[in-house]
Amino acid sequence: MKRFILFLLYRIFGQFVVKGLLGISFRNTQHLSRYPQFVLVGNHNSHLDSVSILTALPLNIIEKVHPVAASDYFGNSRRRAFWTRLLVNAILIPRQRPQTPGDPDPIKLMEDALENGESILLFPEGSRGKPEVIQPFRKGIGYLLREHPEIPYIPVYMKGLGRCLPKGKNLLLPLKGEVIFGEPRFCQGNTVDQIVKEVEFSVKFLDDLAAPMPNWDRLEIA
Amino acid sequence: MLLSLPSFMKSESATLLMIMYGVLVFATVLFYVWGRVAPAANLTELKLRTRSWWVMAVIFSAATVIHPIVTFVSIGFLSFAVMRELFSLMNLRMADRKAVLFAYLAIPVQYFFAYMGWYISFLVFIPVCMYVCIPAVLVAEGETKGIIQSMTQLTAVLMLSVFCFSHLAYLLSLPELPGFSAGGRGLLLFLVFITEINDVMQFVWGKTLGKRKIMPGVSPNKTWEGFVGGVISTAFLGYFLRFLTPFEGWQAWLVSLIVGIAGFCGDVIISAIKRDLGLKDTGSTIPGHGGVLDRVDSLGVTSPVFFYLVYFLAYQFNV
Repeated sequence: MKRFILFLLYRIFGQFVVKGLLGISFRNTQHLSRYPQFVLVGNHNSHLDSVSILTALPLNIIEKVHPVAASDYFGNSRRRAFWTRLLVNAILIPRQRPQTPGDPDPIKLMEDALENGESILLFPEGSRGKPEVIQPFRKGIGYLLREHPEIPYIPVYMKGLGRCLPKGKNLLLPLKGEVIFGEPRFCQGNTVDQIVKEVEFSVKFLDDLAAPMPNWDRLEIA
Repeated sequence: MLLSLPSFMKSESATLLMIMYGVLVFATVLFYVWGRVAPAANLTELKLRTRSWWVMAVIFSAATVIHPIVTFVSIGFLSFAVMRELFSLMNLRMADRKAVLFAYLAIPVQYFFAYMGWYISFLVFIPVCMYVCIPAVLVAEGETKGIIQSMTQLTAVLMLSVFCFSHLAYLLSLPELPGFSAGGRGLLLFLVFITEINDVMQFVWGKTLGKRKIMPGVSPNKTWEGFVGGVISTAFLGYFLRFLTPFEGWQAWLVSLIVGIAGFCGDVIISAIKRDLGLKDTGSTIPGHGGVLDRVDSLGVTSPVFFYLVYFLAYQFNV
């Protein structure tokens, strides 16, 4: 059932809207089929990010990839959490490590998914921020990959999606954007900080492959 | 009956469709063989162009067999794709997003006027109504820093991508002329065909004989030899295809000549725009980055020029 909904939403409707109408193009999607399980790591500027990555996924793994969403935003009501889990296939995690014992641990929740053989999509910046500005990556990805060095990570770089649907706006505009996948790789570093640095670099590195695109935010007065 | 073979398929349009497919097959084979024989020659641009002309040929044939509304929707989508590409490349501001939405919404309206054949509305809507509407929306947003650039860029994009290209569609809504059976469909096919041939001819003449550069700062591959040779070949081809138009012999020759020159202008105008945006050098080297604009740059200028030449020579201003 869920697979059918995701198929309808992303393979049919998503392909039409994201590619045809909005003009977002995908590059190097062949990297997604190399390994059965992976951690997708991307920069985050728009709600379109998860939607377009789900659209790029091959059909046979579409229900196995779970975007990781912040539970304080997407889970603030029961209904919202239900729809996020159903339509975006998301895992809801708190942004912080547990303060009091008994609170859910975000790293543990992601590890559970990985141990079940699922893949996850993570935005280590934590929030969408300003278009085309990459905030420093948070450490969660480091903890996760240190515990699971056998799982490859795939860097993904999104450009221009923050113009189509920026943070805090409801108006969705058709404008060209790019989603570029990097080669899957296994983390080299041993410490959390090294891994975070490494992942952050591999995402930023993909910017070199992107087409030049003006930043519409340059004249905005804060 | 959705799929019937109407009577005009036996007439001029059918002849032209056959010629068009013949030329496309010939061009495809020629560039393939040329690329094989001389791998050094960079034919990517020409091959991509041929591919997009294939798409257009299929759309026009579908419109001929199925329903003219297919053509209106297809050309409308072409306008949309050109506009989306230009907006994506331009230095706009986040505060312009609402005006950009209004620009997109102008497309269906303009093509509705073209479909209905409301000539005055068609003429006035973009250069007058939208010319006022877009700045008004921008001002209503209340952000004045950089507003001049946004006002001018948005309206200029509307003129090029919607107003100019919609003349292609309006050709189909022109009233029938006594003694001219090919109709708007014939005119549309003639224009697309002549523009395409002109592009190819200028390229071929320039490649074989080109020496003197015509404007090295804008388009280093354009030469005087290519320009003159291309325009004259186009004029001759137009003369032989005049059965698709209501023109007499000298008129067909002159119209094709002017369309050839206009096609060259369209090509270099878009080249200059892309160069200013810093895209000229990267655009063709990264595969898949040559946008729709590269394919139809000349058509944007030839369509209004051709339309008003038809309006003047064949209709004598009576629509």
